[in-house]
Amino acid sequence: MTTPHASGASTPNTGARPHSTISFKDRAHDRLNDAKVQRAMRNFNLAGARARGVLDLENLEDIRTSAAAIRDRSLAMLDVWLERFEREATRRGVTVHWAESHDDINRITVEIAKANGVKKVIKSKSMVSEESHLNAAIEAAGMKVVETDLGEYIVQLAGETPSHIIAPAIHKNRDDVADLFHEHHKTPRNNDPAVLTMEARKFLREHFLSADMGITGGNFLIAETGSLVLVTNEGNGRMTTTMPRIHVAITGIEKVLGTMEDLSCILRLLTRSATGQSISNYITVNTGPKQAGDSDGPEQMHVIIVDAGRARLLGTDMQEALRCIRCGACMNHCPVYQNIGGHAYGWVYPGPIGSVLTPNYIGLEKALDLPHAATLCNQCGVVCPVKIPLPELMRKLREKQTERGLRPWQERTGLRLWSWLAQRPSLYGLATRVAARLGKSVGGAERTIHRLPGKGWTEGRDMPAPQGKTFRELYAERNRK
Amino acid sequence: MFLKVGLFVTCLVDLMRPRIGFAALKLLESAGCEVVVPEAQTCCGQPGYNSGDRPAAQALALKVLREFDDCDYVVSPSGSCGGMIRAHYVELLAELPQHADAARRLAAKTYELTDFLVNVAKLEVVPGRFPGTITYHDSCSGLRELGVKTQPRALLAKVPGLELKEMATPEYCCGFGGTFSVKYGEISSRIAERKCEDITTTGADAVVLGDLGCMLNIEGRLRRRGDSHTRVYHVAEVLAGVEDTDGNR
Amino acid sequence: MSARDRILGRIRAARGAGVSVTDAERATVENFIREKPRGVGPAMPWEIGPRFREQCIKMASTYDEVATRADVPEAVERYLREKALPLTAVAWPEIASLPWAGIKVEGRPARGDDLVGITGVHLAIAETGTLMFLSGAETYAATSLLPETHIAVVPASRIVASMEDAWAQTREEVSDLPRAVNFVSGPSRTADIEGVLQIGAHGPFRVHVIVVAG
Repeated sequence: MTTPHASGASTPNTGARPHSTISFKDRAHDRLNDAKVQRAMRNFNLAGARARGVLDLENLEDIRTSAAAIRDRSLAMLDVWLERFEREATRRGVTVHWAESHDDINRITVEIAKANGVKKVIKSKSMVSEESHLNAAIEAAGMKVVETDLGEYIVQLAGETPSHIIAPAIHKNRDDVADLFHEHHKTPRNNDPAVLTMEARKFLREHFLSADMGITGGNFLIAETGSLVLVTNEGNGRMTTTMPRIHVAITGIEKVLGTMEDLSCILRLLTRSATGQSISNYITVNTGPKQAGDSDGPEQMHVIIVDAGRARLLGTDMQEALRCIRCGACMNHCPVYQNIGGHAYGWVYPGPIGSVLTPNYIGLEKALDLPHAATLCNQCGVVCPVKIPLPELMRKLREKQTERGLRPWQERTGLRLWSWLAQRPSLYGLATRVAARLGKSVGGAERTIHRLPGKGWTEGRDMPAPQGKTFRELYAERNRK
Repeated sequence: MFLKVGLFVTCLVDLMRPRIGFAALKLLESAGCEVVVPEAQTCCGQPGYNSGDRPAAQALALKVLREFDDCDYVVSPSGSCGGMIRAHYVELLAELPQHADAARRLAAKTYELTDFLVNVAKLEVVPGRFPGTITYHDSCSGLRELGVKTQPRALLAKVPGLELKEMATPEYCCGFGGTFSVKYGEISSRIAERKCEDITTTGADAVVLGDLGCMLNIEGRLRRRGDSHTRVYHVAEVLAGVEDTDGNR
Repeated sequence: MSARDRILGRIRAARGAGVSVTDAERATVENFIREKPRGVGPAMPWEIGPRFREQCIKMASTYDEVATRADVPEAVERYLREKALPLTAVAWPEIASLPWAGIKVEGRPARGDDLVGITGVHLAIAETGTLMFLSGAETYAATSLLPETHIAVVPASRIVASMEDAWAQTREEVSDLPRAVNFVSGPSRTADIEGVLQIGAHGPFRVHVIVVAG
């Protein structure tokens, strides 16, 4: 990223700034005018992969309904399921921690590391740790931390944050990666993705074998067995939970499922929705630390269950957002995301789900644009594997902004004026007559208006001119004849 | 068959493209309907609804409720406004229980034009003819709120001379999004650009669609990118017959 | 009050439940876990054997079949020679005890520099071409992870239709889950550089499945 708003350039490795207002429009503008980002976004087509991937599910809609019901069941008695998970996990030797805030996540993790004399930490992908800027906290405590998902590793070397929840480095091209590896690995520069992947494997393998602690996210927690489930393709999740002597998993309170049957049902949709795969290469189910006689596995397993704003959504009209299983399909299919990429959204979760979660987690007033940054085309809603009504949730957030007086006065006045006028048909008829004639004359012989006040429309488009008379005028004329 | 059909013209058609309203009228009459056009109608309230101004939207929804209460059906040449009434009025008026029944009744009898012509009026012969190739853009609200996908294509297949060439991604949003198109004009234009590339790649003479908002967006972008030959038509215009009465293009 | 109690309290308050979890609520959860209803899945009109083979290949595993366990060493040697891979391997003890001749097979856990790992499986899943492993004292997890080439010996009788079936059978066979249950479907992969698919990110480059019919 070379743009001033890139989080990487100004705030290395700390991600966006959740405590300041997200300047979405500026950030989007920068990405729209960054040729590299634009090339990468043009190349990005996980939507096509998903379309091919769901072809073999003839009853896709029934499976989606079932998956949504599974998630709703967890959310309806979330505390009871979590308590059940905790009991089973504890019985199996897991230490369960509870984090109310982002600071809690960092504090608990660093405490575990310090208590065990940890020097090097390896990480499999964890979006919750991106929320809390965990890497910075670990480094501040004097330890080394290495991301091991290839995409995460690339953005870590670049001092940036992920621009997609499952394809973190989708905004970078092979030359960017070649430069980064050449600089950090001191190896000859090569931009072949195959060579770069091999090089990352070699360098990261050493870290896997030498790290003291592995940190992962958690795709799901299973109440039945007290298990943690990780879904990966690279195998770094398995490495991170098999090689180091301590494993710390960090996941949200909403991620609990009842049984392995629930998991089996949801996985069919998770992997297809994400990458079009009928299953990911690795599904790892961890239940406690190394057992007597085991030759591998960690000596300690910790699970940190995170609230950090999530419980606030329960029991409200936003609860459906907590069904999310983080597949990324909503952003992959979003025409806005497809053009501006993930960094424009300013916080951890981009795309439609980000536009719903970010204002809820960091504050409605800090992300004013996000609920409006969508055409409400509902492509996200129809592909969401757990049927989150994303456009409805964005619309509700828009209403909350209006109720709290957070919208610009020009917009509020404009809408009120329109509504007032539209309730007065005679006056409305007169106003539209004038506008239609004025528009026609501005359009001239070309019948096209090149410039309108406010420039929002005509910055990138012309405005076809009106015909000149309104329908109501012409209809009245016709009836008179 | 004499169905009393209320035509909801839409505010955009009223202001910008009255001929679409007349085309819809002609098609409904061809299908044997008795068409009424409540003259005090204005806007369905969608701009307020989608911008989070619920009271403003409610006031206009109640107005529509009153104006179309005595029709057997309400038909609109717009999946967006039709979708607003059919898919959102019940929710919009949720806190006004005294209007709940009326909102449900109205929602149940409201149709997008092509959906109505195919599934209710069962129009067999269309008046229009069109010598040339077209490509069809599926507007988001019609497609995803009302299931309008095969209906316009079935009707267009009846138009003598017309050949349909599908674009690669006809269901991809054009970037209009109502007030989004103005609030985030730069992003909106970029989305429209992708749609225009898709349209022009087909080499079709015209792009046809069912929502004036998308039409203005697509036509505006086509002209800005220097394409003066690809015509942009509402599906009602093509079905009713494109007459070059007003320098139509 | 602990963070735990505050979080659980917030959840209960949000859903309008009383301060502490009731016996009835616990019973609801326990009943559900006992009954384990299955969610809606796809129709499975195929035969297990052919489907497993087809899906293994779809997930970029290679596939072979032998008649009996005694035929496994020869099939492994053939595969390794064909791919010009080293004729040295580490394996689970149950595999190391087979009558190996042309290959050096050590029955010990894998280290970072071992190139070929041979395992059995707990079960396999036809729907997705998936191998299921339970970690244990003699079923090392790292054998299917660290080496560049992973060979899995799959008795045909251990292939089930779906993941649901695999869990059901596992519950009948083991009382508590082991530390790690790993589902593996083909070699490790990534598409994190420009979306270009690369095989062999951190796990094996090659997964070779040998199904033993008898």
